[in-house]
Parts: sequence; structure tokens; C-alpha cells
Amino acid sequence: MNFFLKKLLIVIPTLYIAWTVVFVTLNIIPGDPVNLMLGGRPASDEVRENVRKNLGLDKPVLERYGSFLVNATKGDLGKSYLTRQPVTKMIKENMMPTIELSIGGLIFGVFFGVLFGIFAGTKPNSIRDTISMIIALCGISLPSFWIGMMLIYIFGTTLGWVPIVGDGFVSLILPSISVGLFFAGGMARLTRSSLVDVLNQDYIRTARSKGISKYNIILKHSLRNAMIPPVTLLGIQFGLLITGAVITEEVFARPGLGQLLLQAILAKDIPLVQALVVYMTAVYIFLNLIVDFTYGIIDPRIRLERKN
Amino acid sequence: MEDLLKVSNLNTEFKSDYGSKPALNNISFNIKEGEVLALVGESGSGKTVTSLSIMGLLPNNASVENGEITLLSKKNKEINILNLSDEKHNEIRGNDISMVFQEPMTCLNPTMTVGEQILEVIIRHKKISKINAKKEMIGLLELVEIPDPIQRSIEYPHQLSGGMRQRIMIAIALACSPKLIIADEPTSALDVTIQAQLLELLKKLKNSIVTKTSILFITHDLGIVKELADRVIVMYQGKIVEEGNVLDVFENPKHSYTNNLIQSLPEFKIEKRKQKKIIKKETNNKNIILSIKNLYKEFPVDKGIFKQSNESVKAVQNVSLNVRQNKILGLVGESGSGKSTLGKTIIKLIEPTSGKINFKNQDISNFNRQKMQNIRQKIQMIFQDPFASLNPRKNILDTLMEPILVHKLMKKNEATEYIKQIINDVGLPIESLIRFPHEFSGGQRQRIGIARALVLKPEFIIADEPVSALDVSIQAQVLNLLETIKETYNLTMIFISHDLSVIEYFCDEVAVMYLGHIVEMAPVNELFSNPKHSYTKALLSAVPKVKAKKTNKILIKGDIPSPINPPSGCVFRTRCPNPGIECKGGDIKMGLVEVEPNHWVDQCCAKLN
Ligand SMILES: Nc1ncnc2c1ncn2[C@@H]1O[C@H](COP(=O)(O)OP(=O)(O)OP(=O)(O)O)[C@@H](O)[C@H]1O
Ligand code: SF4
Ligand SMILES: [Mg+2]
Repeated sequence: MNFFLKKLLIVIPTLYIAWTVVFVTLNIIPGDPVNLMLGGRPASDEVRENVRKNLGLDKPVLERYGSFLVNATKGDLGKSYLTRQPVTKMIKENMMPTIELSIGGLIFGVFFGVLFGIFAGTKPNSIRDTISMIIALCGISLPSFWIGMMLIYIFGTTLGWVPIVGDGFVSLILPSISVGLFFAGGMARLTRSSLVDVLNQDYIRTARSKGISKYNIILKHSLRNAMIPPVTLLGIQFGLLITGAVITEEVFARPGLGQLLLQAILAKDIPLVQALVVYMTAVYIFLNLIVDFTYGIIDPRIRLERKN
Repeated sequence: MEDLLKVSNLNTEFKSDYGSKPALNNISFNIKEGEVLALVGESGSGKTVTSLSIMGLLPNNASVENGEITLLSKKNKEINILNLSDEKHNEIRGNDISMVFQEPMTCLNPTMTVGEQILEVIIRHKKISKINAKKEMIGLLELVEIPDPIQRSIEYPHQLSGGMRQRIMIAIALACSPKLIIADEPTSALDVTIQAQLLELLKKLKNSIVTKTSILFITHDLGIVKELADRVIVMYQGKIVEEGNVLDVFENPKHSYTNNLIQSLPEFKIEKRKQKKIIKKETNNKNIILSIKNLYKEFPVDKGIFKQSNESVKAVQNVSLNVRQNKILGLVGESGSGKSTLGKTIIKLIEPTSGKINFKNQDISNFNRQKMQNIRQKIQMIFQDPFASLNPRKNILDTLMEPILVHKLMKKNEATEYIKQIINDVGLPIESLIRFPHEFSGGQRQRIGIARALVLKPEFIIADEPVSALDVSIQAQVLNLLETIKETYNLTMIFISHDLSVIEYFCDEVAVMYLGHIVEMAPVNELFSNPKHSYTKALLSAVPKVKAKKTNKILIKGDIPSPINPPSGCVFRTRCPNPGIECKGGDIKMGLVEVEPNHWVDQCCAKLN
């Protein structure tokens, strides 16, 4: 319990720092938002002043910063400059496709990553190890937009196996692969090295001396111990998962937060960008919290340490 | 009796990119049913490779080149182990042959409860229901004398002490009543007291349920061989050089290596030394060079950022002692008794909590860092693992030169000559100076560690387990070196060790530590011939000795308690074999009293005996 509380208490300053960084960077970007609002049309000073007031830009920076923090905590992140809609509502509307895509990518990445990792790690320095690791390296180094485009070209256009656009589960397959491939590569490499390490441990030799089959040695004695580093990676790379989703949405022309963010950036729609980044940092921190808790489930030593 | 296992002409090789290196060279031996066969030899002689060859658990880069290993299985069939497929071998492992490994800390799976790990092997080989298997598992825990077995069975390895983990390993090995148990240095990583408990358990098991089980016991400790084994084989550089009944081999070793091994045992050297001592006594000198008064060291227990705790690890408690010039004071006790902490506190690598440290009539306990610089030059430390403290990228000359230049002891060219002389004195060739730490063996590295302690011309040396990581024969060499060095450089020493026979051989006076307290202190012969404190007595009787007569051992129960909450009153009362009625109440006060000239014993125990 103590541990949970401590972790939650650390979340607050982290969010605070992240939000401050967001506010500061967006407020020092050159370019007057009022011009954007007016769409480049010439306007009198009076009109400009009105718009400025409406947007709350007439107040001093510190005051704006203060109210931004207060409102962010309440979940009220203002209205979009462009659409005049509450940004929270816009985000909510575009959230689901991105969540679907991220989960799809995560599942693909973890499943194939761990699979390849085990495949390679159980027979280090063999041909299958080398080939698996080359594939994993490709997964890491090939940019996801390129992979996305290739997938569309091969499986969508040329072979026509899967629809490229549209709703439903099937249309999620290719984008998920393109998001998850990077992940799968990292997972595979880490699972492999961690497994090789675990398989050299004394307790594996003990298990073998008991006559336990190879299959059970990997399943019962090795995997759990080997999964700690890959789970850590998971935590660190959530950010990349989100970034991956943003780019992939663009490539596959899928609706979602990625599209929204891109539009917002291009239009210098500061409240929307702010809100999106605020949300994403919160999600990122929250997901890392979950990863932290899973350590305890995997490793009884960590669990015990936390109890004390 | 029938042969249970026959090994004939076994050759095992290690392969590397540079070619193959033989590890076993035409090994042949057999084990009879119900026999305890000891396998001794120095590290690297091939003991473990032999056992792994039998188990079929050789590492990937090793393989059996030729030879034959036949086992009489449970169904009384002769099986050639080396021809078995991995699946068939798995039927035998854990069932017909099982194994206990050396490192209790790393040999159990940290993410499985110990109960599960025992259960697993029962279910693997016996066709019984899970409920019955569980009953057997609890029965096994009782058999290996684990207290509170049901509770313990759902705990994880890191929640158990080293001794208990090794009991779990033994339970796993016994689970399917195998024909042969291979035990590879099962007690080497444990304290003598815990080792004595385990040896007692093995003896009991040998004489009861597992009468038909044979044991192949691998050890470097000849005392254990004497205590436990029926027959012994001695290995040297991958060959068997001697084989015979234990008594015959000890009485009348045929091979020179065996003879050396026996002669280098500290207990054999003690005789000679005792005579030497008597001559020396006349030049006895009473100058006290180091004096410690009421020294305490307590480490605060860290409970996290939000909790301030007032608990502490009581590592050193009210320690007072004197070291006289040119003498060696031995510090002995179980692991966790506070020996190392005391050593480090004396030269203030750790700040004492309270107390006085007098070195050459100066109170150094309040010295600041600058003032300590000069003192540190005079008091040097030697550690157990010199490799860890040597910079791997510096050659030996630079390593030895550095402290001289830091302390501005002499000019560089002068220092080179001086270092050459020291390296010669510690018995290393001059060429060693341009070599790097990894190019040396364990014994040579310790010589470098000694050289490094010597370059600053110290007057006092604190040696913390300097020979514990070394083989018996190498131990003897390094101890001899330390002795010569002590004479030539006119040194005074504190010598920390958990090994009583090394202490007896090497030291002039001995202080016995338990849970931060010194419970007894006396000249070495007096302490070993006339121990007064119950802990000292138990400690002395725990050591397996080659020359020992069959005496009843005083066994210490259980493990050393936590130094955060030590027992009140006499700290030893929870494990004391025969506590007095006054002790049990826990309200007597500890402190040393002099019962005979120079023989100090804790006052509560002194009163009782
Ligand atoms: N820096 C430290 N912080 C907290 N506790 C410590 C520290 N150093 C030592 N201790 C504790 O002090 C006690 C005595 O430790 P010490 O290492 O001196 O014993 P030892 O007899 O030398 O054991 P061993 O034979 O294993 O080296 C132990 O309980 C140890 O856990
Ligand atoms: S004082 Fe009592 S409890 Fe302590 S060692 Fe002596 S007899 Fe045992
Ligand atoms: Mg120590």
C-alpha cells in the first residue's frame, strides 16, 4: 500500500513538470495566434483586440500559466482557436481509433517479440537465432511509415488480401503491424538476451538435474525470470508507441488523435496541441505506473521489498 | 556389495576457438551401493566436470570424448548413461541420480516457492496424485528438519537463510529416493556452525531411511572427508592420483599431492608452531600499539523517503581490545557477526558511532579526513578479493606506484627500485610488474594485494579474510608469506577469518565475535585448549578435523539472529546449547571479565561455568 501511495505521489510533480514544459514551449513559438484566427484577412486593431480578449491572450503570461494549470487539473483545457469547440470534446471524439491502434500494435509487438525472442534465445548462436535477430533488427531500423506504405502496397493493393480503409477489426491489421513492428524488434532482442542469461543461471541447472523437460524448463523456470527486462522496455517505449500511432494514422489515412495533432500543429491551434500533449503525458505516466506494478507480480522479491 | 555406478576411462574435453583442452584424463572409479565416496582435489582439478559428466549436464562447450558410465538403475538394469537420449536421461535425473550444488543462494528458482520446487520433482517422476505429492513434500521438509514446514513451503528462496536453502536442495535430491546423490561442495559456502548442522543431518540420513543410497561427496575439506566418507578418491589435474579407504589414505598417502594436501592443513602445522612459540615467548613485548575502548557501530535502517525509523543494525557493540606490537590478533565468528565492520571502523573507512580508538597513543576516533591521511599510511588493509580492488587497466607497477606518489613518500625512480624489492619479497618475479591483474591466479593476486598494502611502509595491517577464497595448498603458501613479511617488516596485525584452523595456526591472540560483541578473548593456545564461553566451545567443536577422535559435537541450533533486534541479555541465548536459568530471562548484562591472566570471557557466561 505504501508503495502504491508513493508512486501516486510521484505522479503529481511529474505531470506538473511535463505540463509546464508544454506551456512554456508553446508560448515562445513565434507567430501571433490572432493572425491565424483571422485567417490572414486584414482587420482593424479593434477587431484584433477583441479576438485577443476572447482567447484570453490579453492577460499576463503568469496569469495564463496559473489558470492553465488549474484548468488542466480540472480537465478543462479550453477551446480550440479554430473550431471554437471545447478541446476535450474534440479529443474524446478522436480517441477511440487511436486507442484501438495502440492496443493492436502492442499486442502484435509483444506477441511476436516474445515469440521470436524465445525462438532465438533457446538456441543462442544457431542459425535460427541469427535469422531471428536479423529480422528483429529490421523491425527496429525500418521506419514505420515506410513499413506502412509497403504493407499497403503488398497486401492491400497488389494482393488485395486486406482492406486498407474502412472500419472493423480487419482494417486494423496492417496499421497494427506497422505500429508494432518496431516494438516487436526491441522486445525480441531483449527477450532473447534476457533468456540466454537466465538459461545460464544455476537454478536452471538445478531444474535440469531434476529431470524437468526442456519445454517445462523454458515455460516454468525461465520465462517469468526472463520477462523483467522486456517489461521495463515496455514502459519506456509507450511513448514511441503513441508516436508510431500518430504517424501510422497519417499513412493509412485513419482518423484519430494523430490526425488531430497534426492538424492542430499546422494550424498553430495552441489550446488543442496543449491539450493533446497533456493527455498523452498523462496516459504515458499512467501506463508506466501499470508496468511498475507488474514487476511485483513477476518477481516475488520485489513484492516483498515493497511490503516492508 | 554391488557396484552402483561404474566410470571407466572417461575423457571429457572443453572446446574453444583455439582447440580442445582435456578436463578429465582417463578417469575410472566405481561407487558401491550404500557407500559414501569422497572426491577431493584443488579447484580446477575436474571434480565438478566429473559430476556433470555423470549427470549429463555438461555446458555446451564441453563433451565426453570417450569412456563409459554404467548405472544400476532402480529396476536393477544396467544402463550406459552416455548412450542415452536427452529424454531418457531426464527419466534418470532426479529419479535415479540427483544432485546438490554448491551455491545455495543461486541454485533455487527465485520466482517459485520452495514447496513448488520440491513438488515438481515428485510429480515429474512418481505417478501419484497432487494431494499425496503435497503430503510427501511436507514429509521431506520434516525429514530435512525445516521448522514449521507448512509455512516454509509457501515461502520463496530469498526468505530463507543459506543453511535452510541447502536443506531444501537436499529435500529435492531425496524426493524420489534416488540410488545416487552427488553433492558438489554442498557446505562450502556456509558457516562452520551451519555446515556442522548439515553434516549431522547427512549422517543421520545416511544411517536411516536412505540406507541403500550412495553419496558421491565432492569437497576440498579433508576434515569432512574424515567425518563422512567411507572411501576417497583424490584428483589432480584431471587424473585420479589416489584411491582408497579414508583411514588408509590419511595414514599413508601414496601420491605426493595427497601428502602435500594433508601436510598443508593448518592443523598439521600447528604442532610445529607451538614449539616455535615457546621459544619466542621470552622476547614477549608488552607495547600496546592499538587500543580500542567501548567501540560501537550502528547503521540506521533505511525505511524509505517518508518514514524515519529509529531502528538500527547493531554491527559492533561495546568492543574493547588491545593489540600489542608485533602480535597478530585473530578475529573470528560466523558471517554477520560484525568482523569486517569492526576492521573497517578501526581505520575509519566507516565512522564509529561512539567509542575510542587509540593508535600509538593518539586518539584517532575524532580525526578528520586530513589527519587520517597520515594514519592510513601506517594502517593498511588487505581484502578477501584483491581483484575487485585492482584497476584492471593498470599494470602492477602503476598500481603499486600510485599510493607512493599520492602520499609523496619518495621520487618516482627511487620508488621503482623500492617496488621491485617488495614484489620480490612477496614472491613474484620482477616481470609481473608490467603485467595486468587478469593475468594472475588467485594466489598471485593476493600476493599483489599484500604488496600493495606494503608499499606505504605500514606498521599495522588489517587483513580481512585474505586467504578464504584460495585453495588449501595456496592458502598455506600465502599464510607463510604473511608470516615472513610480518617479521621482515616488523608488522602488527589484525587477522579476520571465519576459518578456525587458519586462526589457530596463524594468530597469537584470538577474539571471538558474535552479533557485534566480543564474547571471548585469549592467547591462541589458551583459547583453543581451554575455551570458556558456550559459543566458543560450540564453534570449536563444529570444525571437522582430520585428527579428531569421535567426540560428541556441540551443535548450535538455527541461524544467527538479525542484528536489528538482537536478543536481550546474552545475545547468544537463543542458540545456546545449554543456557543457564538466569540467561533465559534475558536481563543479564554483557561485558568481558578477566578470568585468568589475559583470558577474557563475557561475564554472564563466566559466572555460569
Ligand atoms: N554499510 C552497511 N549498512 C548496513 N548494514 C551493514 C553495512 N555493513 C555491514 N552491515 C551489517 O552489519 C552486520 C555485520 O556485517 P559484517 O560484514 O561486518 O560481518 P562479517 O562477520 O564480516 O561477515 P562475513 O563473514 O560474511 O564477511 C551484518 O548484519 C551486515 O548486514
Ligand atoms: S551466558 Fe548463558 S546463554 Fe549466554 S552463552 Fe553463556 S550459558 Fe549460553
Ligand atoms: Mg566479512
